[in-house]
Amino acid sequence: MAFWRKTLQTNAGLLIILLLLILLPHIIGLLTGSDPFATRGAAVSWQGTIIEIYILAIFTISYNLLFGFSGVISFGHALFFGMGGYILGLALEYTELTPDMGIIVGILGAVVICGVLGFLIGLASLRLRGVYFTVFTLAIAESFYIFWGRLPLTKGEDGFTLTTLPTWLNPIADRITFYYIVMVIFVLTFLFIRRLMFSPTGAVLLAIRENEERAKTIGYNTLYFKLMAFTVAAMIAALAGVLQVVFNKKVGPELLSVGYTIDPLLMTIIGGAGTFTGPVIGATTLHLLDRTLRDRVITFTPDFALDIGKSWMLISGFIFIIVVIVFPYGIVGTWNRWRAKRRPPITVSSGTQAPIAEKQSG
Amino acid sequence: MADNILEVNTINTFIGQFHILEGVSVTVPKGSITVLLGRNGAGKTTTLKSIMGITPPRTGTILFDGKSVVGKRPYTIAKLGIGYVPEHRAIFKALSVRENLEIAERNKGELERKVDFIFELFPDLKRLYALPGGKLSGGQQQMLAIARALVPDNRLLLIDEPSEGLAPVIIEQLMHAIRVLADKTTVLLVEQNFRMASKLADRYVVIEEGCSVHTGDMSNLVTDAALIQRYLGVA
Repeated sequence: MAFWRKTLQTNAGLLIILLLLILLPHIIGLLTGSDPFATRGAAVSWQGTIIEIYILAIFTISYNLLFGFSGVISFGHALFFGMGGYILGLALEYTELTPDMGIIVGILGAVVICGVLGFLIGLASLRLRGVYFTVFTLAIAESFYIFWGRLPLTKGEDGFTLTTLPTWLNPIADRITFYYIVMVIFVLTFLFIRRLMFSPTGAVLLAIRENEERAKTIGYNTLYFKLMAFTVAAMIAALAGVLQVVFNKKVGPELLSVGYTIDPLLMTIIGGAGTFTGPVIGATTLHLLDRTLRDRVITFTPDFALDIGKSWMLISGFIFIIVVIVFPYGIVGTWNRWRAKRRPPITVSSGTQAPIAEKQSG
Repeated sequence: MADNILEVNTINTFIGQFHILEGVSVTVPKGSITVLLGRNGAGKTTTLKSIMGITPPRTGTILFDGKSVVGKRPYTIAKLGIGYVPEHRAIFKALSVRENLEIAERNKGELERKVDFIFELFPDLKRLYALPGGKLSGGQQQMLAIARALVPDNRLLLIDEPSEGLAPVIIEQLMHAIRVLADKTTVLLVEQNFRMASKLADRYVVIEEGCSVHTGDMSNLVTDAALIQRYLGVA
C-alpha cells in the first residue's frame, strides 16, 4: 500500500493530466454546446484536432528518442511513418482478410516490418558520423518516397483510400471511440519512453548523446544501443503512421515525404529536445497554431484584410524564429532552466537530499 | 613475463597520415604505479589511446595479462578489465553522480557493494551523489572520473593527467586516492606534474617524439638531476 501511495503522490501531476485527457471530449462538448457522441458538430471537429495532435505527438516522441535523448539526427524518420501507413493500407485493401483481421495483421505487420527495416537501415548507417548519417537517412527515405510514388499497384502519386475499416475503428462513424483508442496509445507511448529513459539503458543513451567515445571506453558497444533506439523509434513511428492512415482513410506517398520528417523535428525543437513533455507541447503548439491561424482572414479595415492562409508559410516561419529566440532550449527546456535558476541554491555541504539530474524534470 | 600486467612492444600509431608513435614500448608490472613522462605532444596520451583501442596501433604488440588486445574495439578492451580515465575530466555532465557510477557497473546491483570503498576514497562524492555531474567543481569531476573507472573490477587503470588544472590541495587528495587504489590494482599514469609523478610512481617511461627513450625505477630518476634536466627540462 505504501508503494501505491508513493506512486500516486509522485505522479499526481501525470494522473491529473490523464483524467483531463479522458474528460476532454466532454468538456469541449459542454463548452461548445454540442454532442461529443455525434458524428458532426464542433465537439466532434475538436476531437479530430486532438486526435491529430496525439498522432503527431506519438510520432514526435519517437523522433525525440533519437534526436533528443540519443543524439542521433535522422532526416529519414518519415520513412517509418509512411511505411507503417502503407503496410496497414495494403493489409486492408490488397488482401482477402476481413476488416478485423486486416487491422490486426496491418498494425502488427507495420510495427514488425518497420522494426526490421529500422534495424537494417540503422545497421548500415549508424556507423556513419554526424552529417553523413543524416544525409544517408534522407536519401533512403526519399528513395522509398519515389518508389511508392511510382508504383502502379498503389496508384502511384494519387495513393488509395481505405474503404474497409471495421465498424469499431471508424473515425467518421464513431469518432469518440477512436479518440480513446488513440489517447490510450499516446499515453502508453509516453509512459514507455519515460520508463526506458529512467532505466540503465536510458542512462547509456544519454551518455552516448554527450560523448560517444567515453561511453565506448567504459565498455559499451554504443552501436548496439543506438541501433536499439533507432529500431524502437521506427516501430513507434510506424504506429503513428498507422493511426494517421486510419484517421484520414487515405494512403499516399506524401506520408513518406520530407515534410513528415521536418514536422517532428520542428515539434521536438520547439517543445524541447531531450525532455519528456517537450515533444507533446511542441506537437500541440504547432498543430493548434496551424489549425487556428491557417485559414483565418484578419480584417483590419474594410479596405485592408490580411489573408493568413495565403502567406501561411511565411508567417509560420516567422513564428518559429520568434519561438527559437525566446525559448532557445525549446518551450519545456527553457522553462526547466528558468525554474532551476529560481530554486534556492543547493547547499552541497549540508548533506541534504539534492534534486535529481536535469532530465527528470519535464 | 607473467608478473607484467601490460606489455606494450614497439607500437607504431598513425592518426590520419601522421605518424604519432614511432616505436613505444612500456611494461607495467602488476601492482605498480608506472608513469609516462615527456613533453607536450610527445605521444603520452596517444599511447594510452592505443592501448584502449581508440587509436589502434598499425604495428607492434600490446599484451594485457598475456593476451593481445591489438585490433579489439574499445568496449571489448574495457570489458577485459582496463579502466580508462581520459584527460579533461571525462564525466557525463547530464547524468547524476550516481548514474555516472551506475553506467560504469555492467553487472546489475553490484554498485552498492563497491560504493562504500569509493566514498571512503572520495568523501565528497557521497554528498554530491544525486547532483548532475555538470554541477561539480573541476576537482570533484576528476574524482568522479577516477571513481567511475574503479566501479568495475578493473585490473589496470589508465589515468591521463589527473592533476591538470587543479588546486594543490585537490592534487594531494587525488594522490592519496591513487596510492590507496594502487594496493588493489595497477596504474599507468600520464602526468606532467613531475612533483606528483615522482612521489607516486614506482617506475617511469620517458616518451620523446613518439619513441620511448628511457625507462627505470623512479627512485633512481629523482636523484639524477642530469637525467631529469635532459628528458623533462625541469630541475
